[in-house]
Amino acid sequence: MERGYWIRSKPLYDSLIWKQKATGHVVIAQGEGGIAVLKLFQQMCPREPITLLFADDAATSKNYADIIQSLVPEGVHICESEQDVLDKLRAQLPDYLMGTQFYVAGSEAFIWDVLAELKVYGVQDINVEKELSGTLARSVYCVHCKTTDRDVHHSIHQCSGCGRHLFVRDHFSRRLGAYMGVMVDAEEPGNIPAKEEIYP
Amino acid sequence: MSILDVKVADVEQVTEVVKHFTLVQENGEPLPHFSGGSHVVVSMNINGRIHRNPYSLMGSTSNTDSYHISVRKQENSRGGSKFMHEQVTPGTRLQITYPVNLFAISKMGHRHILIAGGIGITPFMSQIADLNRLGYDYELHYAYRSPEHGAFREQLEEMCGNRVHFYIDSEGDRLDIPALLKQQPLGTHVYTCGPEPMVKALHLHAQNLGWPDNHVHSEEFTAPPVGDEFTVQLAKSGMDITVPGDMSMLEAMEEAGAEPPFLCRGGACGRCELEVVSCDGLIMHNDHYLSDHEKAEGRSIMPCVSRAKCSKLVVNL
Repeated sequence: MERGYWIRSKPLYDSLIWKQKATGHVVIAQGEGGIAVLKLFQQMCPREPITLLFADDAATSKNYADIIQSLVPEGVHICESEQDVLDKLRAQLPDYLMGTQFYVAGSEAFIWDVLAELKVYGVQDINVEKELSGTLARSVYCVHCKTTDRDVHHSIHQCSGCGRHLFVRDHFSRRLGAYMGVMVDAEEPGNIPAKEEIYP
Repeated sequence: MSILDVKVADVEQVTEVVKHFTLVQENGEPLPHFSGGSHVVVSMNINGRIHRNPYSLMGSTSNTDSYHISVRKQENSRGGSKFMHEQVTPGTRLQITYPVNLFAISKMGHRHILIAGGIGITPFMSQIADLNRLGYDYELHYAYRSPEHGAFREQLEEMCGNRVHFYIDSEGDRLDIPALLKQQPLGTHVYTCGPEPMVKALHLHAQNLGWPDNHVHSEEFTAPPVGDEFTVQLAKSGMDITVPGDMSMLEAMEEAGAEPPFLCRGGACGRCELEVVSCDGLIMHNDHYLSDHEKAEGRSIMPCVSRAKCSKLVVNL
């Protein structure tokens, strides 16, 4: 970690806060993003219509759907899975108008899956509130074979596509929703540093 | 700054107060390509004093044989628009800068709402050429004072078909900006050019309705406001320059032989920003470039439109 230096494409995430000026609000969350949603609803609830799409993470025992359902006054859609959230969102997007504010919380891969859906309708990621929740796991794009591996916790990461050992950079593609992975032993074949868990 | 020598090929009286000028390159060569929304800065020698005014290019972006600008005669003209109307005739030689675009169509947008007030129609004329070529979804809303002020109406009807809507103030037609903004799908961008109150109203309504700032685009060239005489000192050369009340600080520095940077000359682009070393009075900021915070700090000035109410302003030039 170099002090005073960072790669500018590395996305920074914040805590979800209601936007004061809006004609409607759409909250989209998954898994540990449930906590971000509950924090959001501890703030003053806006007057404009709210829609909430949420899916618990099937892999963990933690469950937020019931609490959310009992707490959120209207517009709650509890979904079966992340994919179900994305499908429902895709179906609703044509009906939303300018002035609708979007809020996303969950894993980084989920956040960028949602942003990819929004981008189809001309919503820019910079205008969406984003909170990273639960895990720092990364999607890693192998620049050699163009495979994207999700849920990567380690650098060095072995690519599932080509088997190369990839050093995971902070260089992030908003289009792909993934970090750049580059072959670590290209110059000295076989000289592969030990893998470390840095994205728990 | 690269300069093009041009010659006026044609002058057309469009309305009572608007003239349309066709410019061709003096050496007969094609002019540089430009994108919709671009402008050029025209230099005029008025009684030995050089005036430079920005004007939007309104011809089709596919035409480089000639450039087209339109000038509204301003009632309180500092000389520029009056000169263009009264002195410039076919054959007049002028100097213009290369085109610069501070008002381009956003390629991220899925739908584009253009709102023009009066002579603010000009940048949209070249933008529409681009929008038509790209096949983008757009609407033009053009408001003007009275039927005789509707410059280029027929041309617009031809270019835009049913995408253009006219609002004639004297006939009681008013553009309802909030109603227009409320019904737009996601991915819409809005653009406006016209009188300051209209531009301000659009920004305010868009903000209140939750539109992100980067979906709201405006162009508003400000003529440098008149004020009191003051002295500007250039810290590096030690030169003292008097800025008369009816001249901008940038013009006074140029006339004194200094070569400060500039681009739009309308307080929009930020190119002419100068660091303020000291000021024994108040800086009168008139630009749209510095934030309110930066204006309050007073460490920078845009000499193209801003001036000072002081006896001496020292800038780092």
